Amino acid sequence: MADKTDSNILTLMARGCAGLLLLWCASAMATTTQPPDDAPGQVVRALHERLLEVMRQGPALGYSGRYEALAPCIKQSFDFPLMANIVLGRQRTALGAAEKDSFTDLLTRLSIATYASRFDDYAGEEFVEIARKSTRRGRVLVQTELRRAAAEPVSLDYLLHEQAGSWRIISVIANGVNDLSLKRAEYAAVIKKQGYAGLLEEIASKIVAMGDDD
Amino acid sequence: MNKYILNHLLPLLATALLTGCASTQRVTERPNPDPAEDVNRVFYSFNNSLDRHFVRPLAERYVKATPKPVRGSVTHFFDNLGHINTALHSLLQGKLGQSFSDTSRFMINSTLGIGGLFDVASSMGLKQSKEDMGQTLAGWGAGQGAYLYLPMMGPNTVRNSPDLISSYFTNPLSYLSGAIMFPVTALGLINTRANLLDATRLVEGAAIDPYSFTREAYLQRRRNIVHDGAPPMQDFDEFLDSDDL
Repeated sequence: MADKTDSNILTLMARGCAGLLLLWCASAMATTTQPPDDAPGQVVRALHERLLEVMRQGPALGYSGRYEALAPCIKQSFDFPLMANIVLGRQRTALGAAEKDSFTDLLTRLSIATYASRFDDYAGEEFVEIARKSTRRGRVLVQTELRRAAAEPVSLDYLLHEQAGSWRIISVIANGVNDLSLKRAEYAAVIKKQGYAGLLEEIASKIVAMGDDD
Repeated sequence: MNKYILNHLLPLLATALLTGCASTQRVTERPNPDPAEDVNRVFYSFNNSLDRHFVRPLAERYVKATPKPVRGSVTHFFDNLGHINTALHSLLQGKLGQSFSDTSRFMINSTLGIGGLFDVASSMGLKQSKEDMGQTLAGWGAGQGAYLYLPMMGPNTVRNSPDLISSYFTNPLSYLSGAIMFPVTALGLINTRANLLDATRLVEGAAIDPYSFTREAYLQRRRNIVHDGAPPMQDFDEFLDSDDL
């Protein structure tokens, strides 16, 4: 009787070990197969999580605290050199490498300042991924919604591309309005009226004004 | 009615002709969506000045003096009157189910919602939609045409401007007359402006060139609405590939 019980226990232990082994293999396989498909979604989720964290501490952090807290995540999530090329349009051909770098830095600071000034408080908002679509040239559109307690949800779509093995956001489309195309149209108008130097001044003063509004 | 045509519709037609945009040519690419920019900027400055000195202060006082639920009911009232236009254009676009839903919304909110002051239909599962003549013409294959910035009215396009006529004739208030119509019309305008105060603050906070910002945002928003919230993917690709990036 005792032998039979021992044998049953051994069988159960063996089955348990086999089960654990299978689970481990399955989870290992899952982690090795998930990233290529999920990487664009992960970039967007990481940005949203950071935004929510900063919004929850928004008033306590103040504008400069929110700016500092968001800067690393935003720099990592967006492809600012490409975005700078897009928003400059034809003007970019007239710029040297140093001027392009300087403009990219300005655009980066403008983007961080915009997030820091707009996402300044938390009132039960949540970000929800709705769908993901592949577009031309291997780009991916991650479609999300910003849901708010007492207001219509805002549709936020992110267009990402892969560069040197990492996925970066190149455009944000809010309720059908593409942020890059807004900037491109505005910047072309300002360059036409005030020249490239005028554009740099306008962007720099806009960044300062966002901090002053807090 | 004749007075309305003289005061509102003729200037609109004149604007379209002045800006050289009376043709309904199909604009599929984006060579220049704003060929009348110089004229449009004049009207933009005029509207801005009028808004800054007169309309916006009134709207801000209205917001301060009127409780939010009352403003909500005023918005529902005027939105409800616009639902006949929406139902008509849902029908003209072949969206029969939506047209039936829009008509039902109008009837339910006009009766159970006490003349449209309360949005009872939404709580009954009838979603609010917005269709207009611009969307109908787009569905029938008409191109967007040039961007127009109209005095007193703001951003528009050649394709969308006939909706001013359509929405006038489908609005029951257009068939009423008398002294009461002046305060009712004024309330509608001030309430609409009050609902746009946040959007104005957003433009002021974000825009470097508010005219271009408004135009671009309006055209993109219209493109999104025309495609029922799902514009073709190539819109993004065309934009990103425009300079062989």
